[in-house]
Amino acid sequence: MQNRANYIQVECEINGKPVDLFISPDRTVVDVLRNELGLTGTKQGCDDGNCGACTILVDGKAAKSCSMLIGQIRNKKVTTIEGVSDGDVLHPMQQAFIDHFAIQCGFCTPGMIMTAIAILNENPNANEDDIREGLHGNLCRCTGYVKIVEAVEDARDQINAGGAN
Amino acid sequence: MKFNAYYEPNTVAECVQILSEQGSDAKMLAGGTDLVIRLRSRVLKPKTVVSLNAIPELGEVTLKEDGLYIGAMARLMDVSKSELLTGAWKIVKTGAGNVSSMQVRNNATLGGNTCNASPSADTVPGLVVSGAIANIVGKNGERSVLLEDFFTGPGKTVLADDEMLVSFKLPKYADKTGAVYKKYSIRGDTDIAIIGVAGKITLNAQGEVADMKIALGGVAPTVIRVPKAEALLTGKKLTEQLIEEAAVIASESCTPITDARATKEYRTEMVRVWVRHVLTDAAQEAQKN
Repeated sequence: MQNRANYIQVECEINGKPVDLFISPDRTVVDVLRNELGLTGTKQGCDDGNCGACTILVDGKAAKSCSMLIGQIRNKKVTTIEGVSDGDVLHPMQQAFIDHFAIQCGFCTPGMIMTAIAILNENPNANEDDIREGLHGNLCRCTGYVKIVEAVEDARDQINAGGAN
Repeated sequence: MKFNAYYEPNTVAECVQILSEQGSDAKMLAGGTDLVIRLRSRVLKPKTVVSLNAIPELGEVTLKEDGLYIGAMARLMDVSKSELLTGAWKIVKTGAGNVSSMQVRNNATLGGNTCNASPSADTVPGLVVSGAIANIVGKNGERSVLLEDFFTGPGKTVLADDEMLVSFKLPKYADKTGAVYKKYSIRGDTDIAIIGVAGKITLNAQGEVADMKIALGGVAPTVIRVPKAEALLTGKKLTEQLIEEAAVIASESCTPITDARATKEYRTEMVRVWVRHVLTDAAQEAQKN
């Protein structure tokens, strides 16, 4: 482990709460989320920037948290899967994944949902092509994507209708 | 992954000062999408990491009298959607949009993709045919290098230990110019390019080629131009026959390797095919612009 003399201070906001970290700068964001903050919803898959299981939102934009050093979220607003709903009612995207059975083993699901939310943040009217293009960086080895895309389309329609849940 | 120090300078001057003190022990962190992976796999073992993420001026994109200036820290997602990249400059948007997935493009930067000096970097062929100039700042001041002269080998550039890339300048393009980049990969954008081909053609009033450039990615130690093919076409009216001849010259001038993605024979053959498509499309674009 590192000498604490090399630690850096990282102030940021995670799921709406201010967080003040004093931490070794060589740690990745996914590592800190899971092992320091207990936010294990963000999955560590390939840890190589390919699979997308570790996707989080940084200032509303999707990012792979395995490919970011902890210093890169300084002064940023981070959202993880734990932060997308208020704890009582699921986010429409989560509900749509359940309704469409867009989950088998579930390992890719948090990353899929974060990316899907980012796609709709970027373009609330994303069509199937936009959704597939956006999900390009998320791998699922179970379902074959059809149900995932259907879930995102359903969530889009529900959100646009303004009355999901 | 272990390094001893993490710096986050707020200005270019401060950054250059840190780089000159740290020498070859330091690595610059832009978006991190390549660097962090290589730190974790221990391909790179720097003692110091210098983040460029707190230097606002490096992210600016500015249209000036003599061309478009794109900061080295401009994120690929922003570049791929920039409305300042018009006409023949759109090739730079295409290249940026071809890099990996949304999550990666949100973080990765134009300067980072360049400074990694991967021969198959998607942004580089388009920048090269656009005549991009790399603006560099170091301990001894500023200098500018034509981007095609920036690379010295796979992962190697002309940057000295105390130097950093701060921006790209894209010179203005002439009327009747078309530029096209095509990436060839098995799994679309998420995959690394097997080959990448960029072509830029400027036509004169008679419809002849006034100026042209071809750049090839993934088929040599660095992105290369094909001067022999460019010379063959310049001053002539393009025909299918001429384009095919240029494509053959291009495929003969590359020196690809065989790796997990493709054999050298396959790459060579694909260069011929892709150069033909790129030049045909670029000529059509040029007539429209």
